[in-house]
Formats: sequence, C-alpha cells, structure tokens
Amino acid sequence: MPEFFHRKIERNAIGFVLAIVGVASIGGFVEIAPLFTIHQTVEDAPDMRLYTPLELAGRNIYIREGCYACHSQMIRTLRDEVERYGPYSLAVESKYDHPMLWGSKRTGPDLARIGDKYSDAWHVRHMINPRDVVPESIMPRYGWLARNELRVDDLGEHLAAQRDVGVPYTQAMVDNATRDAYGQATPDSDAAAGVSERYGAATQVRAFDGDPSRVTEMDALVAYLQILGRLTEAPYKQQSTAAGE
Amino acid sequence: MEIAHDVVVAFSKSWGLFYLVGFSLCVVAYAYWPGNRKAFTRAKMSVLDTDDRPLGDRPLGPEA
Amino acid sequence: MVRLVSGMTVTERQIALVVLLALSLIGLAMAAGGRGDPMGAQGFVVLVFSVGLAFAVMAGYYAPEPDESRLTRYYDDPTKVGIVLTVIWAVVGMAVGVWVASLLAWPELTFVDQAWASFGRLRPVHTSGVIFGFGGNALIATSFHVLQRTSRARLPDQFTPWFVLIGYNLFCIVAASGYLMGITQSKEYAEPEWYADIWLVIVWVVYFLLYLRTLARRKEPHIYVANWYYMAFILVVAVLHIVNNLAVPVSWGHAKSYSLFSGVQDAMTEWWYGHNAVAFFLTSGFLGMMYYYLPKRAGRPIFSYRLSIISFWGITFFYMWAGSHHLHYTALPQWVQTLGMSFSIMLLVPSWASAGNALATLNGAWHKVRDDAVLRFMMVAAVFYGLSTFEGSFMAIRPVNSLSHYTDWTVGHVHAGALGWVAMITFGSLYALVPWMWKRETMYSPKLIEVHFWLALAGTIVYVFAMWNSGIIQGLMWRTYNDGGTLAYSFLDSVEAMHPYYIARAFGGLLFLSGAVVCASNVWLTIRAAQRERRGETGTDVPIVAGAMQAGE
Repeated sequence: MPEFFHRKIERNAIGFVLAIVGVASIGGFVEIAPLFTIHQTVEDAPDMRLYTPLELAGRNIYIREGCYACHSQMIRTLRDEVERYGPYSLAVESKYDHPMLWGSKRTGPDLARIGDKYSDAWHVRHMINPRDVVPESIMPRYGWLARNELRVDDLGEHLAAQRDVGVPYTQAMVDNATRDAYGQATPDSDAAAGVSERYGAATQVRAFDGDPSRVTEMDALVAYLQILGRLTEAPYKQQSTAAGE
Repeated sequence: MEIAHDVVVAFSKSWGLFYLVGFSLCVVAYAYWPGNRKAFTRAKMSVLDTDDRPLGDRPLGPEA
Repeated sequence: MVRLVSGMTVTERQIALVVLLALSLIGLAMAAGGRGDPMGAQGFVVLVFSVGLAFAVMAGYYAPEPDESRLTRYYDDPTKVGIVLTVIWAVVGMAVGVWVASLLAWPELTFVDQAWASFGRLRPVHTSGVIFGFGGNALIATSFHVLQRTSRARLPDQFTPWFVLIGYNLFCIVAASGYLMGITQSKEYAEPEWYADIWLVIVWVVYFLLYLRTLARRKEPHIYVANWYYMAFILVVAVLHIVNNLAVPVSWGHAKSYSLFSGVQDAMTEWWYGHNAVAFFLTSGFLGMMYYYLPKRAGRPIFSYRLSIISFWGITFFYMWAGSHHLHYTALPQWVQTLGMSFSIMLLVPSWASAGNALATLNGAWHKVRDDAVLRFMMVAAVFYGLSTFEGSFMAIRPVNSLSHYTDWTVGHVHAGALGWVAMITFGSLYALVPWMWKRETMYSPKLIEVHFWLALAGTIVYVFAMWNSGIIQGLMWRTYNDGGTLAYSFLDSVEAMHPYYIARAFGGLLFLSGAVVCASNVWLTIRAAQRERRGETGTDVPIVAGAMQAGE
C-alpha cells in the first residue's frame, strides 16, 4: 500500500527524512561502492613511485594557487588527446593523489604529461611572466613563487598525514622529510644523497629555480611539474605495445 | 574475506534496476491514489490563503 | 540592531552570548595554534567576527523582552536579514566574477603582483560567493519564510534561526577569506578546508533540526511540497558534504588537510558531490522557492500538485546517479560512465515536468506575466531551467561530451543554469518577498525591477552565447586534423581564438552584475521607505532593521 505508506512517512517528518536519504543515497552507493574493490582490476604499476617531500610541497602550491581550475591532468581515451598530450591517463597514475587533480576545464593545456617536456629555466621564466616565453598566453604571473622561501619545517607532518590516508611513506621518509626537501633542491649538499636513496635513483635532484643557495616555492612547483606523468612508465609501455599489435 | 569486484558490479547493476522500477511504481501509485486527491487539492490551494499569522494551538486536520 | 536583539528573550540573548564567547575562544585557539600557518589568520577572522557580534548582542541586552503576543506572529527578522545578506553576496560574488572574467580576456589587468589578487585565488571567491553566499543565503532566508507560512506555525524559538543564518555566513566569510590566503582543498565547489567544513556540519544539523521542530508544530496535516524540496536540499547536501570532505588534517594547527580518497575514487566522490550540489543545492532548494512564490505571486494554484510530487521523487532519485558523466572517457570504469549517461538522460523527465508545471501554472495568466516583471523573472527562470536541464542531459551523452568537456561550453551551461535559473528565480522571489516582509504594497520602484529584468536577461543571453561559441570552437579546434593526418591547431591557436568571446563574456557578466546592483538599490530604498512610513505612523523612532548584520559591526 504505497498510499498508506507515504501518508504515514509524511505525517511523521522523521520517516520522510529517512525516505529522502534512502532514495538519494542509492545512486551514489551503487556507483561508488564498486570503485573501492577496483584495485582488483586496475592495471598494476610496480614501478610507481611516491612524491618526494619537495614535489608534494610543489603539488600543494599547485593546489593553493588554483592551477587545477584551468589545467586538467587527465588525458582522455580520444585520439586527438593522445596525439596532443601523450598516452591516455591510467587510474593507477593518480592512486597516490589525495585529492586527485584531474580537473574539469582546459583554459590552458592538459598537464598530465608535462614532466620533462620543458627545461626548468623555461618553467621559471614562464611562472614569473608567462608572456615572456609564450606571447599569446593568458596565464597569470606567479612572481611571488620565486621570492617566497618554501616552508619545509612541517613536511614530516605532511608525509605522516599522507601516510594516514594510505600513501605508503616509510618512517625514514617521514623523519627525513625536511632534510630531503632541502637536499632535492640543493644538489651539492650532504642532504642530496638521501633523496635518491629513499625515493629511487631516477629522482631529479637539482636547483630547480636555478639558485642552489635557497629553497623557494618555485623550486617545489617546478619539481612537481617535472615529475607529472613520470611517476610510472606503465602508460607508455602499455600503450606502445597496444599500438604495436 | 574479500568481495570480488565483478560480484559488486553485477549486484549494483541488477539490483539498481529493480529498485528503480519498483520505486517508480510506488511513487506513481501514491500520486494517483484516489484517496489522496482531497489532501493534494487542499495543499494546492492552501498557499493562496492569506497567511499573515500562525494558526492557534488547535490543529486543523481531524486526525492530526 | 537593538531591535533585532530585542526580538529574543533574555535567555536566548544569554545563549547567544555564550555561543559567541565559545566561538571567539575557538578563534583565539586557531590564531594561537596556527601561528606561522594561514590557520592563524583564519583564527583572527573567526575572533573578530564573533567578538563584533557579541558587542552587537550586548548593545541590545537590556532592551525589554518581547511579550507573549509575539507567538501569534511569524518570526521574520532572520528572513529580513537573510534577504539583505543575499543581496550583498550577490553584488560581491558577481563583481568578483566580472573581474576574473576580465582577467581571462586581459591577463595583465591584475594590478598587483600579489598572490591574493591572482586569478586562481579569486576564482573560488566568485564561485563560492555566488553559490554559497548568494544562493545559500537566499535559500535559508526563503526557507524560513516558506516553512512558517506553509506550516502555519511560528519558528520554535528566536535563537536557532539566527544561529543558522549567522553561522552559515561565518562559514562563507571564513571560506572566502581563506581562498585569498591560498587555503583550498582543490575539490571543486567544496574548496573550504576541514575546520570550515566541520563548522558547516554543525550549522547544518541545527538548520535541519530547526526544520523538523517547526514541521512538528505545523497545523496542517500535509507537508506542502515546497518543504519537501527544501528538506531534500538540507538533507542531501549534508550527506554529500560530509562524505566528500572526509580528510585528515596535517595537524590541529594546519589549515591544510589531505582527502581520505585518492585517484579514481576521489574523482567519482568529488563529482558525485559536485553534480549533486547542482541537484540539491542549486535545483532542489530553488524548486522549493518556485513552488511557493510562483503560485503565490501569480495568484493561481500550481498546475498539477501530483506532477510536483512525481518530479520530486524523480529528481531525488535520478540525480544521484548522474555524477559520473563528468568523467567520460577518463580512467573511470566505463560501466559507471554509461550508468551516469543513462540516468542523466532520464533526468530530463522529472526536470521538464517541473519546468512544465511552472509554465502551465502561468498559462491563462500571460497578461500578468506581461505586466509584472516579478512574475516574468520567475517565468524566464522556468524556461531557463527547462533549457539548461535539456542541455545538461545532452552534454552527458558520451560523444557530445567528448567535444564539450574541458571547454567553455561547460562554463556556458553552468551559467545558463546559474544566471538563467537560480538567480532569476531568486530575484523574482525576493521581489515578491521584500514587500511582504517590510509590509509595503510594492517594491520602492517597480520600474527598477523592469530595468533589472532586462539587464539580467540580456546579460544571461550574451554570456551564454559567448560561451557556447567559444566552447564549441575550442572543442572543434582541438580535434581538427589537416589533410596530412596531423592536428591542425596548436593549443595556443585555440587560446587566441577565445579572446573575443572572453570579452563578450565579461560584458554579459557586467550587464548581469549591473542588474544585481539595481536590485540592491531597490531593496535598500524599499526598506528605507518602509521604515519612514512606519515612523510616520507610530510617531516613534524605530531603529534601523536591515543592513546591520554584517561582520565586524
């Protein structure tokens, strides 16, 4: 008796409330719940590496300045996108991204595979004044990044929080976060060796902003941009085999 | 015990559909149930009444 | 100010002071614990806000208590203040919108090379300012009004509605000031960080309980359908907000937190939230508004009450499935994409049922629509609601989405809904509501309503057409191949091609903003005129009612 039932739940506002929540929750539940078992079907990428503390700090600057509002990091499975930007994005590539930065708008180009495409110096000039290197650009200037000293003292806490949400940072990584951030942007220092030791030999260790004497927000952001799309080789391998077939 | 992805997906797909159909039937049945006509007509007209102050403590409906 | 406080009993004034004291202590703790972090500055915002309000409450503390006869009247003070806040947020949020739109057309317009003034930090001030500041305040203010009228019952007490309204605005202010400092979660339309999110949950629970308590006092056995929509808005937004914002803060002294979800799960959760924020914040609540103010203003009952019930459950049910259409062709599993697409198309049925119901209500009263700009606002809102829901379903189709996604078409679609539907129905409802609230026959100037109407309509059309054009051109340029089988245009070519449309868009926004400014002046003049009339009648000096509840006063 739907009629009786509805009249009843409606008279009693609490019942009505439960009905709304119940009806409304189903869709989300049905769609989202299966995604939490998806690791069983998602491609594996054993070579997937973690963000270093410096790169994570750079990622946080990317978030802070709202870059995601104009740049996506998700190449769709469409021919023109693959030809323009590179192999389409795999789910595994953002599995350590809390939160993801897939984006929803391309006022500027996609950045999922921007890493290693331009030199550090290009990025630095581009950030300070985009129209210096790309006259038609409508991107804002980000001059303060080069001026601001990067805050590194709390990076250990950041890594610990990341570990709490499921990113497999080791205790040594958490303990050495500040030192590693400094070391990655200061190649001549004693701290530099520890970075490749903990994050892999392929880790880029250099003065990203061109000035080894200080660690700036520019160092962090450029370090982050240069790693985009290079955390794992899986998409390049997988899609080159697919093309070969 | 781990639940297999395929099972969760299959459940989502099938059960979601049955739920949708059953639910729609209930809603339409409710909206067109003859016994509700009076209440709906009353509600429909009620917003047009002048309403410059709340009603007193005596509730309106006979069964409320 | 004093008059507002004098509407509360002494006990309620004490509760208000205790709450404000607690809040200022929280602010102080944030300021102290967050030293060296943006959290500290946020603490000061909370502190100044709550201490300022505490002074306001104290100023009226010794005013005489309201007598028992208040219980024979509706309690409309919070609605009045809510209306004023709505209008203020509209002007602020839209002004920032026009500014950031201009930055896209002329990037060198930024007057200082300072972080807070850059596009990336100002943009969320615009989006949150209009959605949460303007839209949210409009929903809260009108919901208090509609709830009392349709229940024929007064709000249960005088403190709770203030807590909801003021607490909600504290959330908005903390959020907006945070964006300028670079505090954001980066989740679209859920940018505020964890402490603001927790505060919003508290406010929201109180809002929900207020709704239930008033409904429990209702003198009508049946709950009028507008309240269903308001309730769905309150409830589902709570569910969405809590789930999407689950995060682990770096520490108690850090503004920054990390989302509990990552990658594909996070994307799905975010767009489940994002799309349903459109559904339950920007649609459901405003449909509630429509189902009350439209029949009331037209003097005609809603065309079909049954249809409104069917579309209510349709919207409540279907919308929840549609979020994944934001993720077509991405790394999200394809069956979820297909499901999202199918439900997005089915969504057209309840959406058009609502829009059709509104238009059919006006059928036979077109002469009223012709003469009354207020009713015309509502009619145009219903038309745009119909158009943008159709467009939304269309864009959710995968192949269409492959073209439209990532382009300005999406922006155009959003603004067709936001300007054409949400803002229009809000302005229409406000113009109906303001004279009722301030006990006048009409607004101060019906002519200015007419001016506003045409500015708003012209602005919306210019904006939407500019974005349709730019979006489709962008999408086509990105996928065009030349005869050699290579991509014909570089990304920069598409950026350059957008320039004229970005100018047109800024111009359309400017028209719409001018309309909002006209509205603000009209509301202000109406309130002032009402006060003068009242003063003339009673011969006593009545303290100022509106414009008095801003932070820091």
